[in-house]
Amino acid sequence: MKTKRIKRFGTGILVCIFVLGLVACGSPSSNTGTPDRTKAPSGDAGKKPAGSGDPLNIMVEVEVSSLDPQVATDGTSLEVIADFTDGLMQMDPDGKAVNAIAESHEVSEDGLTYTFHLRKDAKWSNGDPVTADDFVFGWQRAVDPDTASEYSYMLSDIGQVKNAADIIAGKKPVTDLGITAVDENTLKVELNVPVSYFLSLMYFPTFYPVNRSFYEGLKKDTFGTSPETILSNGAFKPDSYEPAALSFDLVKNPDYYDADKISLSGLSYQVIKDSQQAFMSYQNGDLDIVKLSGDQVDQVKDDPELNVEGAGCMWYLTMNSHEIPALNNVNMRLALTNAIDRASIVEDVVKDGSVATYTAVPPQFATGPDGSDFSADQDKFHDVCADDPDKAVEFYEKAKQELGQDSFHFELLLEDQTETQNVAAVLKEQIESALPGVTIDLKVEPKKQRVEDIQNGRYEVCLTRWGPDYADPMTYLSMWVTDNLNNYGFWSNAGYDAIIADCTTGAHINDPEARWNAMYDAEKIVMDEAVIAPVYTKADANMIKSGVSGIDFHPVALNRVFKNAKKN
Amino acid sequence: MKRYILRRILISVFTLLAITLVLFAMLQFMPGSPFNDEKLSDDQRAQLNAKYGLDQPLYVQFGRYVANLARGDFGVSYNISKNTPIRQLIQTRLPISIKIGGMAVGMGALAGLLLGIAAALNHNTILDTLCTIVSVLGVSVPSYVFALALSYSLGFRLKWLPMLYNAKMALPSSLMPGIALSLFTLASIARFTRNEMLEVMDSDYMLLAESKGISGAPLILRHALRNTLIPIITVLAPLVVDLMTGSLVVEKIFAIPGIGSLLVTAIQSNDYNVIIALSFIYSAMYIAIMLTVDILYGIIDPRIRLARSSDGEDSTPPGRPGFASRWARVWGKKQKAVNMYES
Repeated sequence: MKTKRIKRFGTGILVCIFVLGLVACGSPSSNTGTPDRTKAPSGDAGKKPAGSGDPLNIMVEVEVSSLDPQVATDGTSLEVIADFTDGLMQMDPDGKAVNAIAESHEVSEDGLTYTFHLRKDAKWSNGDPVTADDFVFGWQRAVDPDTASEYSYMLSDIGQVKNAADIIAGKKPVTDLGITAVDENTLKVELNVPVSYFLSLMYFPTFYPVNRSFYEGLKKDTFGTSPETILSNGAFKPDSYEPAALSFDLVKNPDYYDADKISLSGLSYQVIKDSQQAFMSYQNGDLDIVKLSGDQVDQVKDDPELNVEGAGCMWYLTMNSHEIPALNNVNMRLALTNAIDRASIVEDVVKDGSVATYTAVPPQFATGPDGSDFSADQDKFHDVCADDPDKAVEFYEKAKQELGQDSFHFELLLEDQTETQNVAAVLKEQIESALPGVTIDLKVEPKKQRVEDIQNGRYEVCLTRWGPDYADPMTYLSMWVTDNLNNYGFWSNAGYDAIIADCTTGAHINDPEARWNAMYDAEKIVMDEAVIAPVYTKADANMIKSGVSGIDFHPVALNRVFKNAKKN
Repeated sequence: MKRYILRRILISVFTLLAITLVLFAMLQFMPGSPFNDEKLSDDQRAQLNAKYGLDQPLYVQFGRYVANLARGDFGVSYNISKNTPIRQLIQTRLPISIKIGGMAVGMGALAGLLLGIAAALNHNTILDTLCTIVSVLGVSVPSYVFALALSYSLGFRLKWLPMLYNAKMALPSSLMPGIALSLFTLASIARFTRNEMLEVMDSDYMLLAESKGISGAPLILRHALRNTLIPIITVLAPLVVDLMTGSLVVEKIFAIPGIGSLLVTAIQSNDYNVIIALSFIYSAMYIAIMLTVDILYGIIDPRIRLARSSDGEDSTPPGRPGFASRWARVWGKKQKAVNMYES
C-alpha cells in the first residue's frame, strides 16, 4: 500500500520532468513567433536598414580591438575602420591606389613633396565637410607619443614623413610633422626621401583623417567606442557597436559621396571563434562569407562557393646563426632549407590553398615598375632552395666536415596554434629523415613569448611569420639589415646593408628600375646564405554564398573590402 | 547569526584582496608582455609601458591598482579593446554570463532533484538504471561536447534554436548553452539525491512518520526531501563554480558575449588588467556563493540554526574554519541527529 503510493508520487515527478523538457524544447517558436521553421532563426529579423538589398553577413575570427584608425593594428579592426572611413586613396580590385577623398594629386620633381586636392563633396556623418585639417589632425595623432600608436612607424620609417621620427621620439612637437593644410581642400605632405610606394600607404588606416572638433568634443578615451563616438565618411556607418562586441552592424551611409555605387544595405559582423560552428552557421544560411580551416577546405574542395585568396603573409624558419655555432655554418643552413618538402606541407598539412615558397620575398603582393610580381618566378634560387633531399645531403656532408661533427641537435620553437604545430611536426620528420644524425625537438610557446624569445636571440630554430605592411619587397628585405629588431638570426652583411640603404635613402631612390634590380640582388644574398628558410605563403580560404559578388581581397593593408560587394 | 554573517563577509573581503595581490604577482611571471608583437620596436614598447604605468615598480603598480579598485575602476584594456575601461567591457557581459549560468544551475538542480527522487522512489527499476546512466554520462562527458551535439542536432539539423547567441532573441539563444552547462549539475545532483534519498527512506524516523499515518506527498516532501536537501546544497556550491569554468568553452562555441569568452581572449593576448578584473569577479562570485550556502543551511535545517545560537558563535575559536571543515561539521551533526533517531 505504502510503496504503491510512493511509486505513484515518483511517477508524477517523472511526468514533471518530461513536461519541463517539452517546455524547454517548445519555447523558441513561441518566443520568436516565427511560424516558418525552415528559416534560420538567428540573424537580424525585424531590422532592415534603409538601402537596397540585404546586409552582408560576415564572419570574423576575432573581436575588433579598436575602431580608432591611429590605434588599430589587427586585420579585423583595420577592415572595419575602412568600411566606414575613406582615406586619401583607396584600393582598386587589383590593389592599385586610386583616388578616394583625394580628387587629384601632384608630386614635386624631387619626389619629396606631395600635394593632394580633396574632393569638396566628402562629408562626415555629422554633416561636417572632410577637410585637409582632418588629415593633419589624424596624422599628428599617429605620431603623438601620447597616442603611443603601434603603427607610428608607418609614418616614420616606412612613409618617411618629415620629422615623424623625431616627434615619435619626443624630440619635436607634433605640429612640426611634414603635413600642412594649405587651405580647406589642399593638403601638402613633405618627405625626407622619395618613397616610391607612398601613394599606396594612403589607403592604410593609420593615415586616415579624424574630425578634430568632433574628437575634441568627446570625453577622453571614448573615441570609437560606440556609434555615437564614431564619425563616418565612408560607404557604411556603424549602427550598433560596443567594445569587443561579438556581433555588430553597419548600415549604408546615405551621405557618402559615392553612395550611388554602394549596393549593400549594410554589413552584419559576427565573431565566431569555433571554426566548426562558423561553417555550420554558413551552411544554415546565417552567414554569407566564412573563413575555413585547412581540414574544412579539404571537405569542400570542389564546391564552387570556395574562394581561395593569397593572404601575403609568409611562414619561414629563422635560424640563430649568432648563438648556435652549427647554424653559423652556411652549409648547415642550406642543408636544412633543402631538406624541407614544401609541396607536401601545403598539400597535405595546411591544405587551404597556401603556396609553397622558395624566395625570401613571397609572391603575390609586390609588383614592380613593369607590372610584374617580384617573386612570380619561384625557381630563381633553385640551386640553394628547393625540395631536394639529395642536395640537402650534399650540403650536409660539407657542413659535417667543416664543423667536425656527425650529429646535431636543434630545438624548433613554435607557437601554440594548431596549424603551426602540425607544420612543425612534419618539418621535424622531413628534416630528420633527410639528414641522418640531425634530431629536432619541438618547443611550443604562446605567441607573445615566442616573439620575445626570438627578438632576444633565445632560440635555435623558429617557425615564424611576417605579413607585408605595404606593397613593396622592402617590407621583407629591410628585416635582414644589421641590428634590425626582426633580424632574428642576428645575421650581418655589409654588402647587403649597403644595397638596402641605396634602395631606401640612397642612390636608387629616384630610379625605380635600378632599385627593383638592386632588391633582386639583395634577395639573392639572403637566399645564398640561407639567412631564412622560406616555407609557405598563407592563403585565406573563404566560402562565399553564390549570390554574393564583388568582395575585393588584398594581401596587403586591407585584406577584404566590401564597398563594391553585391548580394542578390 | 548576524555576527557570524558579518564576520564571514569581512573575511571574504580580505580573501579577495589577497587574491588580487597573488594574481598581480603571478602576472609578472606570465610569459611575454601585453605589447609583444613582432612589429613593435623597443622604443615603442617602452613608450607603451610608460603610457600604462607598466614601467613602475611592482608595489607602485599594485598600490595604484588597489586604490583604483576601491573606486570601482578596473583600469583599461591593453589589447582586446584598446584603451576601453574594463568596467565598460564587463558591464554588458557579466549579466549575460550570470543569466546563462543561473539558468543552467536552476534547470540542472531542479531536473536533477526530480530525477534523483524519481529514481530513489523507484529503486531498482528501469527508471533507477536510467538515472544512473544519465549521471555517469553527465559527469564524465564535458559540457562542450554536449554543446556541440546540441548545436548540431537542435541548431543545425532541426533548426529549432539559434546556433549563435543573438541579443535580440536572448532567451531562445541562451537555451542550448544553458542546457549544455546544466547537464553536469543535473547528473551530479541526480546521483547525489538518489543516494541520499535512499538512505533517508530507510531510516527509522521515516518509519515512525509513516506509522503516525503520514503518507504520500507530505511524507516525501516534508520528511524525506528536507533531510535530503542539506547535503545537496553542499554539493551544489562547488558545482556552480564548475559551471563558471565550463562556461569558458561553451561561451566560445555559441559566440556568447559573456565574461568566460572574454577571459579566454584576455589570457591569450596577455591583457593583464582584464585578467585581473575577471579573476577578481570570479573569486568574488565564488566567495559569495559559499557565503550563501552557509546562510542557506540555517534556513533549511533548524537544527543547525538552533545549535549555532545555543552553542554561541563566540565560543568558536578564532580563525573560522574553512568551508571544508564546516561541511564536515554539518555532516557530523546530521549523522548525530540520525543516530539519535536510530537509538
